[in-house]
Amino acid sequence: MVTDFDVVAHYKNLLITSPDISMPVAAIEALVELIKNSNATTMSEFMVSIKEASQLLKTSVRNSISLSAGCDLFLRFIGRSSQDAADFESWKSSLIARGEGFVEKAAACRHKIAELGVPFIRDGSVILIHAHSRVVSLLLQKAAADHKRFKVFVTESSHSQGGIRSAHVLRAAGIPTTIILDAAVGYVMDKVDMVLVGAEGVVENGGLINQIGSYQMAIVAKAANKPFYAVAESYKFVRLFPLNQYDLPTYSADTLSFQELNLDYDMPEDGEMGTIKTDRVTSPSATPVDTRTLSSQKAQGSNPLVDYTPPDYITLLFTDLGVLTPSGVSDELIKLYL
Amino acid sequence: MSSKNVVDDLVAKLKRRQLVGSSAVAQETLKLMIVVISKAPLSTVNQLIDLVKSVGQKLVAANPTEPAVGNIVRRVLHVIREEYRDAENNTNKQGELTAPPSLTTSSSMYNLLGDPTSQQAVYGRYSHALRNNIIQEVKDIRIELETIYDNIKNQASLHIHSNEIIMTIGKSKTVEEFLKMAASKRKFQVLVAETAPSYQGQEMALELSKAGIETTVIPDSAVFAVMSRVNKVILGTHAVLANGGLVAITGTHMMAAAAKHHSTPVVVCTGLYKLSPLYPYDDDSFTVNINPDAVLGFEEGDLIEKVTVANPYYDYVSPDFVNLFITNQGGHPPSYLYRLIVENYHPDDHSL
Repeated sequence: MVTDFDVVAHYKNLLITSPDISMPVAAIEALVELIKNSNATTMSEFMVSIKEASQLLKTSVRNSISLSAGCDLFLRFIGRSSQDAADFESWKSSLIARGEGFVEKAAACRHKIAELGVPFIRDGSVILIHAHSRVVSLLLQKAAADHKRFKVFVTESSHSQGGIRSAHVLRAAGIPTTIILDAAVGYVMDKVDMVLVGAEGVVENGGLINQIGSYQMAIVAKAANKPFYAVAESYKFVRLFPLNQYDLPTYSADTLSFQELNLDYDMPEDGEMGTIKTDRVTSPSATPVDTRTLSSQKAQGSNPLVDYTPPDYITLLFTDLGVLTPSGVSDELIKLYL
Repeated sequence: MSSKNVVDDLVAKLKRRQLVGSSAVAQETLKLMIVVISKAPLSTVNQLIDLVKSVGQKLVAANPTEPAVGNIVRRVLHVIREEYRDAENNTNKQGELTAPPSLTTSSSMYNLLGDPTSQQAVYGRYSHALRNNIIQEVKDIRIELETIYDNIKNQASLHIHSNEIIMTIGKSKTVEEFLKMAASKRKFQVLVAETAPSYQGQEMALELSKAGIETTVIPDSAVFAVMSRVNKVILGTHAVLANGGLVAITGTHMMAAAAKHHSTPVVVCTGLYKLSPLYPYDDDSFTVNINPDAVLGFEEGDLIEKVTVANPYYDYVSPDFVNLFITNQGGHPPSYLYRLIVENYHPDDHSL
């Protein structure tokens, strides 16, 4: 019998109530909650309900990459531990305990990564980051607390506006931060010593799935011979092997499809851009954000939210398992899924 | 001599730079480790690890530019941890079948969901038998160090073919043995960059020509010019970093860059004791500036007052320039080095 517990609602609620928790952790927490509410009486019934719930979760959001990393890790764990479960009820309560323990450890993970990454930040360096990533922010905050002096450029990252959030966090930590246009990555690259990005998911070949714009950043960094570091918790490792951008599970047929001419997509009229710019130029670091071009949800809907960065562009990955080369990632995944 | 005296003795030698060169340093460190372990009191393994670590810290601080010291200490620590784990598993087996041993020794993603109680490994019971096992294993490392040249040079005929033109720089015992071994089976030509201002390349060329190899010394400035005729660049190194980067004699970076430009394969011959789990946080952190006398002597008195003379001893070479590492365990691409690090060092020991 399937319970009437709404796993998706619980998941979404978690993300709203605790903004510090990331998607895979929230997914596992939601699944743990499901186990608590489950009244399944047999192992197979239980397994089916868990699998259904994780499927439900994955289909409930548009960008399911990091969410499914969490679900898959937990399912894998349930599958493995079910083999040496003696008694169903005690096994269930141990699953709940482990799941809750995971949520605590997930926070510790970030601190460990930050510690590993800090030595890479040199005094006087300039760092380019992309959008908002909690673990990247933590790393930089920790470096600043260690009395390292460095400056940060952050891309505004249009649509999610994550860069603006990052800038708030970093400025609060006393780090000089400048928000730049997404289109200005090439322009600033010469002044930058290293690029740091977070990750939605790290795939099997050591490549990276992250907020749109990371890939072009990596290409520019490579062309300019600047190190490109990815920062990711190991629970974001996913079993995917994308061969190109259109190989991601988030891709659908209408992503970047050609728009019909008569759609209500308002082009900004001549001169409009100029007036917006002068309003906003007061604060030196604030980017003129043209909210009006974002207005048409229809035009936005077909734009991809994430892109895939192949491993050749990644210098190193900072994870809670240590500092890895991209080829080290597959080793860790094999350990888990062997 | 008590073990403290022995430690201080080696620390002094390292500080005064009486003991230099990664091979000699590694062997002395290992000898010292055997003394330290055999004289350590039989308390807990945890205390032994702390003791070895504290000795290691002193040695590393005495000469931070010799990564081989830290590597050997880490290897020894790894041996202690492994031997302890084996001993514990054995005693557990005699009692009853407890939990199966974990899949891997290092942490994995799986630990995130693992049993919260078994997170921190406790290193307890330290017995006579365990000490003997540890010392035996450490002595095995010593044998490994002694046979490194043999293991590497035995692979020579796989990499050097008849009538090839090989280029090298600096004087490396490993490369020298490698080329001499190849020469016993094949006929080939070697170009050696003279490696100014130490001119170690000239010494190397002399050794090679004594062994009957057709050897040519070229000035460092000619490396690029002749690179188009070279089939393979074979390099020695002072240290290998965790990302596959090299700390090697100055001029190596230039030669590797020229090789990359011409798509000439770059092969690095190195013993595994040179492989360090550290990353090049800072390109300058491994550079040593030595006496600039060889660049501009004091006889140029007038000039010396007007210019700054620098004589850096090492280059950092990034891993994109290296195609293959030949170690005593076989040939590995730079992307595989992380695996060797996992096998040889425990993650808790990376920073001593």
